[in-house]
Amino acid sequence: MDLRNPNRDPNSRRVLYRTNKEENRKELKHVKIDESTLAQEGKKLDLPKKRFYRQRAHSNPFSDHQLDYPTSPDDMNWSKLFPHYYDSTTGKMTKDVTIADIGCGFGGLLIDLSPAFPEDLILGMEIRVQVTNYVEDRIIALRTNHAKDYQYQNINVIRGNAMKFLPNFFQRAQLSKMFFCFPDPHFKQRKHKARIITNTLLSEYAYVLKDNGVIYTITDVEDLHNWMVKHLEEHPLFERYDKEWEDNDKCVQIMRNATEEGKKVERKKGDKFVACFRRLPNPAIV
Amino acid sequence: MSLIHPIQAVVSNRSGELIFAVLKNVIIAYRYDQTNGKYLEMGKWEDQFSRDEMIKIAVVKEQARQLAENEEKGIKKSKTNEGNTIEKKHDAKIPVPGPGAPPIYSQIRNLMISNDETMLLACADSDKSVLVFKIETLNNDNCLKLIKRQPFPKRPNAITITEDDKTVIIADKFGDVYSMLIESPVIENIDEEFEPILGHVSMLTGVLSTTNNGMKFVMTSDRDEHIKISHFPQSYIVDKWLFGHKEFVSSICIPSWNSNILVSAGGDHGIFLWDWIKGEKLDEFDFTDLVLPYINENHLAPDRFQNEENDLKEFAVSKLVSLPNNPYFAFFVEATKLLIILEVDQSTYKMKLLQKIVLPYYITFISTFSDDKTMGFNISLDNRESGDKDFVKFIALDTTSNTFSIKEEQSDEFNTSIVNSFSKEDSIVKVELDEVYPLYNIISLKKHGEHYS
Repeated sequence: MDLRNPNRDPNSRRVLYRTNKEENRKELKHVKIDESTLAQEGKKLDLPKKRFYRQRAHSNPFSDHQLDYPTSPDDMNWSKLFPHYYDSTTGKMTKDVTIADIGCGFGGLLIDLSPAFPEDLILGMEIRVQVTNYVEDRIIALRTNHAKDYQYQNINVIRGNAMKFLPNFFQRAQLSKMFFCFPDPHFKQRKHKARIITNTLLSEYAYVLKDNGVIYTITDVEDLHNWMVKHLEEHPLFERYDKEWEDNDKCVQIMRNATEEGKKVERKKGDKFVACFRRLPNPAIV
Repeated sequence: MSLIHPIQAVVSNRSGELIFAVLKNVIIAYRYDQTNGKYLEMGKWEDQFSRDEMIKIAVVKEQARQLAENEEKGIKKSKTNEGNTIEKKHDAKIPVPGPGAPPIYSQIRNLMISNDETMLLACADSDKSVLVFKIETLNNDNCLKLIKRQPFPKRPNAITITEDDKTVIIADKFGDVYSMLIESPVIENIDEEFEPILGHVSMLTGVLSTTNNGMKFVMTSDRDEHIKISHFPQSYIVDKWLFGHKEFVSSICIPSWNSNILVSAGGDHGIFLWDWIKGEKLDEFDFTDLVLPYINENHLAPDRFQNEENDLKEFAVSKLVSLPNNPYFAFFVEATKLLIILEVDQSTYKMKLLQKIVLPYYITFISTFSDDKTMGFNISLDNRESGDKDFVKFIALDTTSNTFSIKEEQSDEFNTSIVNSFSKEDSIVKVELDEVYPLYNIISLKKHGEHYS
């Protein structure tokens, strides 16, 4: 068996697990999960097991991937991701996404943000297919298991390339918070353009953020931290929050402790570098 | 039998009197003499920059970097059996392409004339540079004087010049946009010293600059269907995106008769007309039926994307231009003989077909000329099968009948001049049939979702 491609063995446990979960996803991904679904199912869903979702740790953001993205923000069908917030009488969403977790990984931050921001819709974006599947399965399981009190209805994930297609999803000034947690450090000099924070991409993030919206960054790589701080500080539309603000902000607390990467760093007793920035209003056009 | 390389690009000044053409890695200039109707060679410039030299510099630089890195890490120098350390020093070797390696083409791209018609701009693939020439019309030996050659970290794919003719805006293959003052000195270490003014995470295909209501803007188009509008020079403020394309965008233009309008085309089988101030698509002109009769075996999809019947054809608009003073656009689909001219109704902003013109060979490039006496299009053709005829066709508007037609006599005169300039057997642009530069590469921008995970 080709170890690098376990899918070649159609009876491997991973393949069987993935097939089963895929069918489950097809059935439940876009369904409005409430007590009636729960009654039908009659049992609790197991949370997905990470070991069945392994894949390469990196994805090339410049590649021509098979991606689903709307032609424009107006074409985005949010009801499929947040069916609980869709009003079928008006055909409109009752809320818009206001928080984005770019490169959400295994979804730890989303899950902790969900109860902390019950009035916001929170979207995770992740480029790796299997990791996205994991987060989807995790959210399906959590929604099902907490159907009685409608928990976890305000979070979801999409597989996508935020570096290319963020403006296809969000209108100008739609977001109030953007998270960049433990991004791929891309150590090599010539790969720096592949980093998620660059001076050119920051202009696009500024476009989707409203005035006084916040960019949160956290990493365990000091070089990357310095790079992100340098670029954000140089950008005319961002201003760093001070340490006191960070200490009093609940998102910083969640970000430090919630994400899987954060927990891993904790276990290894590594450092965590946090920097948060405020979106300044556009200056007068010259 | 060798032939003169087909013309890849042809541009003229507004009157059509000064003409510049690219053949292989050569730019040649002609002047139209009204008195005898002939084209006189005015100047010539050949890109003699050797890529080998650049590779050598890169190799030396990389070696120095590795040595420095080893030094820093304290990696031991290798030792001989006797225990003496030896300093390993190799001369930088230039990699020799192995058999089957793709040939290197020193293309010259993005030919354009400045607004005041005193400068010619172009880009050279050899060292990924932007070239600025002063057009010295009084210099009879060679009117092309290279005044600046600025290399960039990645290949410039589109350029434009600001209205004051002072700044060139460069959009590269890697998605970055740079702004370069023509008068500033050449920057040696462009990687370290030059920051992009804006960027996409996608190959850029077009860049425009315009002024509206006292504000300056830069428009950039890319392979990922995006047209982005940013302020200038505050290029960190994105004004908006124009959403609607479902395939790559290859060509954008803003007509000077209405600078609120932007027209775009590419892999979609339609021409899009936008009110870019409002961010609204006003019209889409579907050209599929017009073009289908001219689609040929050159348009068959590459093998790995081909269907079972082997008949999947893919085609895209190569270039779109607008006449400056009249509401007419012209475009062609890559590797076809058909030129399509559209007219825009200036009250409803709907496009309609004005005229189709079939050229004798596939079109490789289109540009415009227009002044108070005459207007029309300069068209270059893939004439490799013609026996050194039909390099260029000039198409002009006959104002009485309001139709465009090929100026055969004038085109023939120009072709004669090309042959006179390059007929010698040792001429640099003499090539064998299989040495012709690739002329059709727009369709390769089409995305097929090749990468799964």
